[in-house]
Amino acid sequence: MRKNLDELFIFPRQLIDEESGSVISLVRQWAEKEILSKRMEYRENYSRLFGEQRDRLNLTIGLQWLTLPEKNGGFGWNDYANAPGITSVLCEIGRADASIGAILAMEYTILATIAMKHNLNRKLCDRLASHYVSDEVRTPALILPGPGSLGHETPLFHGRSIGVQVTTAKGGYTLSGEGLRPLTAGSIADLFCVVCTGKKGEPCIALVPDDTPGIRRTPPVLATGLNACINADISFDSATIPKENVIDRPGIVEELYTWLNLYLGAVSIGAGANFFEILSDWSETRVIKGGTTLKENPLCASVLAEVAEEIAMAKILLYDLAHLLSIPEEWSGTNASRSFTFSGIIGSRVQAGVLKAINRGMELMGSAGYAKEWHAEKHWRDVKTIQSLLCGVAAEAPVRMDTARFFYNCTEL
Amino acid sequence: MIKIDDFSRPEEYISPFDRHFRKVIRKHLEQTVMPYRRQYDEDWKDHHLIEPAFDKLMVELGLQKSLFPQEYGGWGIAQSDYVFRVGYMLSEELGRADTGMAVALCVTFWPLLVIMIEPFVNERLIKEFAPMFCNTDKAVFAANAMTEPQGGSDIENLGLMGGGTIRTTARLDGDEWVINGHKLWPTNSGGVAKLFGVPCTTNPGSSDPKDFAFIYVPADLPGVTQGGPYEKAGMAADKNSDIWFEDVRVPSWYRAHGPGRDAEAFYQLISFGQMASCAFLTGAMMNLYERLYEFVSTRTYNNRPLKENDAIAGIIGRIAGDIDICRILGHETAMIGDRRNKPYGKPLTSEDVVGRIRNIKDFVSDRAVENFGKAMDVLGAYGADRDWDIEKHWRDIKIIQLWMGGKQLCQMEAARYFFNCETL
Repeated sequence: MRKNLDELFIFPRQLIDEESGSVISLVRQWAEKEILSKRMEYRENYSRLFGEQRDRLNLTIGLQWLTLPEKNGGFGWNDYANAPGITSVLCEIGRADASIGAILAMEYTILATIAMKHNLNRKLCDRLASHYVSDEVRTPALILPGPGSLGHETPLFHGRSIGVQVTTAKGGYTLSGEGLRPLTAGSIADLFCVVCTGKKGEPCIALVPDDTPGIRRTPPVLATGLNACINADISFDSATIPKENVIDRPGIVEELYTWLNLYLGAVSIGAGANFFEILSDWSETRVIKGGTTLKENPLCASVLAEVAEEIAMAKILLYDLAHLLSIPEEWSGTNASRSFTFSGIIGSRVQAGVLKAINRGMELMGSAGYAKEWHAEKHWRDVKTIQSLLCGVAAEAPVRMDTARFFYNCTEL
Repeated sequence: MIKIDDFSRPEEYISPFDRHFRKVIRKHLEQTVMPYRRQYDEDWKDHHLIEPAFDKLMVELGLQKSLFPQEYGGWGIAQSDYVFRVGYMLSEELGRADTGMAVALCVTFWPLLVIMIEPFVNERLIKEFAPMFCNTDKAVFAANAMTEPQGGSDIENLGLMGGGTIRTTARLDGDEWVINGHKLWPTNSGGVAKLFGVPCTTNPGSSDPKDFAFIYVPADLPGVTQGGPYEKAGMAADKNSDIWFEDVRVPSWYRAHGPGRDAEAFYQLISFGQMASCAFLTGAMMNLYERLYEFVSTRTYNNRPLKENDAIAGIIGRIAGDIDICRILGHETAMIGDRRNKPYGKPLTSEDVVGRIRNIKDFVSDRAVENFGKAMDVLGAYGADRDWDIEKHWRDIKIIQLWMGGKQLCQMEAARYFFNCETL
């Protein structure tokens, strides 16, 4: 491949300041040295190397405290203006391993609602800083509203069922909820960020450390992708947490979705970029019709073009979202429902675009696209898993309803 | 409530065999495969779970001898006038349970069909190979060793390339063929198959169909080397590997039919493979419907069943509609096969019919890939969960879209047929 990825998949570079640029560069070097150049070894010793690489990324480079305030020992990337930089960091990680990226995306999403300068929750931020600025790798899990169960009416967040109830208890709050499915990492999480409701049904979020009495986990759930983020269903049997661990300011759940769409979008873009690299190499070394290089055949070239188009458009859109979140006033004001809606629209487009690119590219690679040896199929499974998390429940229908509500003032959806 | 059998298929196409045997095979698979299939992915290398399931399916139920004539202990299916339709039924039921098992079993039939279906029958070879499959208490597999490292789709593209890119050679030395070459990816390789059907050339570089040879090679002959199985995204029940043939000697009469006729018979084989691919996909989609039905009926959005939400109903309605259409089309491919010499007025071995059947396979593949993806999204955070089976099918069926020359070759065949393209 002659050109580098930045030359090929353009984005507004002025969004990335010098400091961000150096961190991004460091992460890229890590990705290329530790994973991309050792794909086979990484795959064959995955469970060990995954842990080692998370150590290196989270603790040696320090990405675990990237978005914490400087005062707390973090990098101080806790300003809206850091959104594009964080996006780039997650792209680089996604290029290497979407599972590592997804876990960090969850952490940055949670911290975005707590540690951002504009809505800093000082007490909780201090508590989380002592958790994250440490010499141990941390793994959070996010439990969002999802499909309800027939016969069990629940409070709703825009149609999605909220399965956890918070009640006041002595010295704090008590959480109760059964059979909850975290987005990822339920089996290995040390902190749960849970969307729940109070007595009046208003949505809020609660942070539940894993050593809180009353937490039950099922055995690990086998899944399509993000295999290192071992998941499990979670139940809370009157799990009691301190009062400050519950945040109930208006719009808090919308914020979670908003940042999650951006950050998981970045992970998928990174995976898509590496798939592009794999496909590029493939198309230069394989022949069709007895001698023509694959990329020089018009039909194959048109498929290759479609792959590039999808990834390029998805990346441009995602950086538009990063820009919107970093400078909301330049995008018609700081309206939480606007950001929520646009993050849903762009998030689902990004996931669909990257997945389409990988699907089309795999068609060209034939069996090699399907073999683990070529690493293409891992990106396919990982991105599909992320897409299902974000667009579900019901194949983008909730996102579409959110969009219709915003644009058409629907009141009964 | 409608059931999977209510998805459309032309009643007049259903074979007498289908009416009775479908129930038997379905019950068998529901008892011996479906309860265990979620563990198959971890069994991809050793087949500790999968091998006994194959023994039950192929030996106890007897499927591995079904093609052979009754006088050799078989069921005589290949000699019937409904071999494609029985193949469709079998592939569909297997596909509903596990497409990896479906392909492993049907590929065992594949090379054998080259010598069993009129007008391409080779009695001597049928008699030679019948005991291998009919007189045994273990599952026995065959494989079609087709793809080569330099470009898989070119071998499939006989219509244009005429076998000119095949590098596996067959040289006649006295009364033996000497085979040399390297093949990739055959289903049932990796130490599984006992018999290979090997497309090769007697004159390297020649595009003359007379130089194309289809020769049978028992896997235990000196000079046959198989690599370990590839690790894949899915299809754990189907092992694939590299195969090397180094001065492998087989009797000269192990060639299927001889110059010219080998290419014709092989071309017929392509249609059988495409027809079976359609059936694997419609079978898997019928299981998709079953699992999706349960999810959308028991899980809620806005505290109402998902299926009662108009927007979601629009999505799941389209999925079910596609399954229905694909099943009709799939059965049409089977009927084209069984009408053999006069499907749509053209012989089965004509490029026209190969193009039509490829066209349907391409369409059904696309619908299946899209619908499984949509269904996973309907399940949201549960979509990637193995317990709902949909993600396994999603991983498994992707290769069906990719194999046998892939999607692009399907498009080229269609263009060549409909637009008289001469250089594609």
